Amino acid sequence: MSEQLRESLSALMDDEANELELERVLSRIGDDDDLRASWSRFNGAREALSGQSRSLSRFDISKQVSSALASEQASSSGRWQRMMRPVASFAVAASVTATVVLGGQQLAQLGAGDPYDGSRSVAAGVSPVGFVNSLGATPVQASYGTRSAVPALQPATRTAYSELARQRMTRYSQEHAEHAALNTPQGLIPFARVPRITE
Amino acid sequence: MTVTSTVRRMRLILGPTAALLFAAVQALAAPSTSGVACPGAEPEALDWLDRMSRSSHEVDYRGVVTFQRGDDMQVMQIAHSVTGGSTSEQMTRLTGQGAQVERADHPLECLHPGHKLLQVGSGLHEGDCGIAEHYRFAVSDGERVAGREAVRIQVEPRDMYRYGYILELDRETALLLKTSTIGRGAKVLERFQFADLAYGQNEQSSAAVATVHHAAHPNPAEQPAGQSVGMDWNPHWLPSGFMITDAAGHTDRRRTYTDGLAVFSVFLEPLRGDIRPGEGVARQGSTTSYTRGMRLAGQPVLVTVIGEVPVNTARMVADSVTQTR
Repeated sequence: MSEQLRESLSALMDDEANELELERVLSRIGDDDDLRASWSRFNGAREALSGQSRSLSRFDISKQVSSALASEQASSSGRWQRMMRPVASFAVAASVTATVVLGGQQLAQLGAGDPYDGSRSVAAGVSPVGFVNSLGATPVQASYGTRSAVPALQPATRTAYSELARQRMTRYSQEHAEHAALNTPQGLIPFARVPRITE
Repeated sequence: MTVTSTVRRMRLILGPTAALLFAAVQALAAPSTSGVACPGAEPEALDWLDRMSRSSHEVDYRGVVTFQRGDDMQVMQIAHSVTGGSTSEQMTRLTGQGAQVERADHPLECLHPGHKLLQVGSGLHEGDCGIAEHYRFAVSDGERVAGREAVRIQVEPRDMYRYGYILELDRETALLLKTSTIGRGAKVLERFQFADLAYGQNEQSSAAVATVHHAAHPNPAEQPAGQSVGMDWNPHWLPSGFMITDAAGHTDRRRTYTDGLAVFSVFLEPLRGDIRPGEGVARQGSTTSYTRGMRLAGQPVLVTVIGEVPVNTARMVADSVTQTR
């Protein structure tokens, strides 16, 4: 798997993939044995760990996505559709991410034993990030312009975690700035990022 | 425009064959940099970065800096002076909170890893391309900043794990006058810029200040007196080129890493109760705070990665945190 493809896959997980990257991953996952193998190996490792037999690695997401894109393209005729197209294709991209995400969440639940146990093995060649991505996909964006409903992703937990991340940003920003100020060319300026400087 | 992005664009317009042909012609036409082990390393840019890092320590200056993040703008005063082999710096907020950060008596020879990474100059050793391995640089004429003629260095990341920058340096002193942090899609995430600058020794600020923070300047080789979390832990994956900034111990709750331009810190927090696994992100300007609730060898913990890196980098680092035995 090329570094570029790895980056695209990574970007896709991060909801930062542009259409080109999305297309790159989707067009290659059918033909690229390496890419598919990485994906299955990763899932396999999870399954082995959780002792579950249900195989998500055989769940072929790429076909569904490709057909979703194709139908989107097919329907894009006429002036109104042309105008709506950027919105619609964005929505498709977002819903694709949401589907990947959903797969990841199910995956995480399957590995109920201890999916975060540090002693787990990570399949070689696979990015250490699991497809445990509750961000990236915003249900509002995803359902915008798509016909099928995209299920919400545990909103309560998500809100709680966003709040945690915000609190931690406030709590740790000064300590982080302290070290950023020593290791970047801006001198003390990184302290400007600290919401409230304390003594 | 870089060759890569041109090729990418051409692939879209003309198809893969034409794009390949173009890339091949470019490769042949490119001037051969014989003897240089680092293709794409721009010696002129590396020289400027080296000078920039040195001048940030060695020059006496004082000025007003603006800091923009979206619609938010802060103004602060910066003063930096060198006396008898050590530096003294102040940053005073002129808007919002009346706070000052001061770092006094910082020995000039105390060079932290971030600056070591920048001070490679053009003397790159074979096989070690330093910061040029992770960023592409392009030097051009800059516009005037704070009344000074500037040199513009465009810094483009070679992978997706860091942001890009546009650095504008004083043509005469190489002092960094303006930094724009560039995110995906050429979006400016935040910008620091001198509005006013004077060189030479100066008197202290007269701004009203309620809080003074005395910034630390630990010796990077000595273990900091950090809080212990009672377990050995480590992130097992870092984006290439990042190195630890100090000698933090195996059980310290914090680790900080730098590639010379970007910095992120990892914090580990053992929790008393159990937590539902999950993740959350907060972003402000170029700062990402990524928090993941997980179990580390049976112990529920919160791992937070905070720094000026993309969310994905923070997530991958947090994901790789394991207990070390």
